Amino acid sequence: MSTLALIVEDDEDLANIFAEALRGVGFEVEHVADGQVAQDRLKAGVPPFLILLDMHIPHISGGDLLTNVIKKEEHLAKTMVIITTADARMGETYGEMADFVMIKPISFVQLRDLTSRLKPKDE
Amino acid sequence: MSSLIPNFLVSKRNDPDEIRRRGLVQVLSIGLLVLSLLAFAAIVIYLVVNPDEWQQDNLLALASSVVAFIVSAGIYQLNKRFSGLASFLILLLLVIVPILSDTAEQVVNGRSLFLFTLPIAISSLILIPAASFLFALLSSIVVISLSLSIDIFPNMPAIIGFFMLALVSWLSARSLEQALNELRSINANLDKVVTERTQALAESLDRERVEAGRNQAILNSIADGVIVFDRKWNATMANPAIKSMLDIPIELISGKNFSEIIEHPRLQPRSRGLLYAMMEHETQPIGFRIEWGGKTLSVSAAQVYNSRNENIGTVTVFRDFTREAEVEKLKSTFVAIVSHELRTPLNAILGYAEMFKESIYGPMNEKQVNMAERIMKNTQRLLGLINDLLDQAQMEAGKLTIKMAPLRPAELLEGLHSVMDKTASDKGLALTSEIEDSLPETLNGDIARLQQILVNLVNNAVKFTDKGSVNVRLLYISHNRWGIEVTDTGHGIPEAEIPHIFETFRQVEGMTTRVHGGFGLGLSIVKQLVSLMSGDIKVRSKIDVGTTFIINLPLVVTEINERDRRTS
Repeated sequence: MSTLALIVEDDEDLANIFAEALRGVGFEVEHVADGQVAQDRLKAGVPPFLILLDMHIPHISGGDLLTNVIKKEEHLAKTMVIITTADARMGETYGEMADFVMIKPISFVQLRDLTSRLKPKDE
Repeated sequence: MSSLIPNFLVSKRNDPDEIRRRGLVQVLSIGLLVLSLLAFAAIVIYLVVNPDEWQQDNLLALASSVVAFIVSAGIYQLNKRFSGLASFLILLLLVIVPILSDTAEQVVNGRSLFLFTLPIAISSLILIPAASFLFALLSSIVVISLSLSIDIFPNMPAIIGFFMLALVSWLSARSLEQALNELRSINANLDKVVTERTQALAESLDRERVEAGRNQAILNSIADGVIVFDRKWNATMANPAIKSMLDIPIELISGKNFSEIIEHPRLQPRSRGLLYAMMEHETQPIGFRIEWGGKTLSVSAAQVYNSRNENIGTVTVFRDFTREAEVEKLKSTFVAIVSHELRTPLNAILGYAEMFKESIYGPMNEKQVNMAERIMKNTQRLLGLINDLLDQAQMEAGKLTIKMAPLRPAELLEGLHSVMDKTASDKGLALTSEIEDSLPETLNGDIARLQQILVNLVNNAVKFTDKGSVNVRLLYISHNRWGIEVTDTGHGIPEAEIPHIFETFRQVEGMTTRVHGGFGLGLSIVKQLVSLMSGDIKVRSKIDVGTTFIINLPLVVTEINERDRRTS
């Protein structure tokens, strides 16, 4: 099974930290900082095992990506979604559609521990 | 000239008695005039019929009637200016005429004697009452003199009769004058009262007009829109400001029922609901917001009572709040953006520091790990501060709401321990907690906000306690109240400071921010959250012994249903 994690996050530093945490537990990491780019990437190409989805991103919001792409595309049906947002209300609004909601500030250790539990077991 | 005439002879033109007397004299003099004319005519006719009667006696009578006529006319004229004198002359005439018109015997002792009673009786009416005595005396003198002149003894019963008549005349005239005087003074008093009442009425009408005018002027000139409703919510008055505020003609307000006015399509449905609630529940809200067209209006209503304490209607005041609402919205947007923008880099700092601590890029020595921890701790503090600011801003904007859902009190304490255990143990303090047995296993509450209250209070307690413990108890107070109690063994709060500790940005004197890292928002937020939950918070404190915060909240017992259990 794919161990690809897609980080959708417009803040470079946060993306960096998230990537480091995910790599630390054995994920392959891909990063996009823009909603439009994220949509294109999600519609084509290898479906990721996990998406770390920021809600405030340029061009297409995280909420729209979740509603109109991730939940619509057949090949993304098995993809896990972790919403990362600083806005607790966003978390409440879209929480039902995601597997987890993490409210920023997100701790490196916390993310690492969570994703290590989600990661598919090595065969 | 008038000073030479006795007082009672002087005409006092405005004296009502004088006027009455003058009238009488006038009638008398006219009577005499007519009488003398008739006498003259009768004598002339008699002489024409009996030409042989032209004798001295009859001619004298003819001359007398002419003299009487002239004298009467003179008195009539005199009466117009000197009524007293005229009265006196007419009376004198009445005394003299009998003397001249009959023989002395007949005058003093016969048929003409009674003629003296006339001036005596009349004098008290046309002169002053006591004048009857004067004429009784005069008549007596005449009778005595005449009697002596013809050598007979004066008729004493007649003289006594004169004086008796004078007495009766005097008494009756006097009582008549007194009665008239009393009547006049009653009349005068009545006139005075009527005048006073009329004036008072006029004044109060004036005042009312001025008052009403002033009130109208005030209503017309204030910027707030005002509509006055009667008991049945019909609009009885509206000022010009309301017209421009609601942008509808005044005819659509005046006389209309409140329910008609608020059916206007420009009123937002939710606002309509609020206004209906105000009308139906007769509440007296102060400054709730409604949306009318593009405007935000603040509405206040007050019921009006009359002097008998009966409700006679409601005054509603509408204030244009559009600008303030925009500013508030701007402010909360600003705070939200700023806090988001602050949180993102702080999250990055926190993440990198964690990575150092976790030795992601190679092993770190103890000092380096320690430093990473310090960075993390300070970043957490800053983040906490931003959260507090954001909460404060939301509460000020009235945006922070309480979401009630079933919760288990045990859950609250579990959450508290997971967040605060480390903070307490780092300072060498024990964080203990207990739940009173009688507290129901599930109750209604906003778990996130209750958690926030607990964390804030415990954080505060830990901050101001150097040794000992912090104890948290969840209490069962009564069938409809429950409570939270947080007790520490810390510094205590000086009594004078206790009333101020819930104020925004307040920290007790002498415990500086540098030492304790506080910012004074925590307790203010706790108090506001407690108020939002319809509860209250009290504090007991003793210097160097410790502080206890007690929160009292409404208790609504519920059960957690299956759906809630799954999501929680």
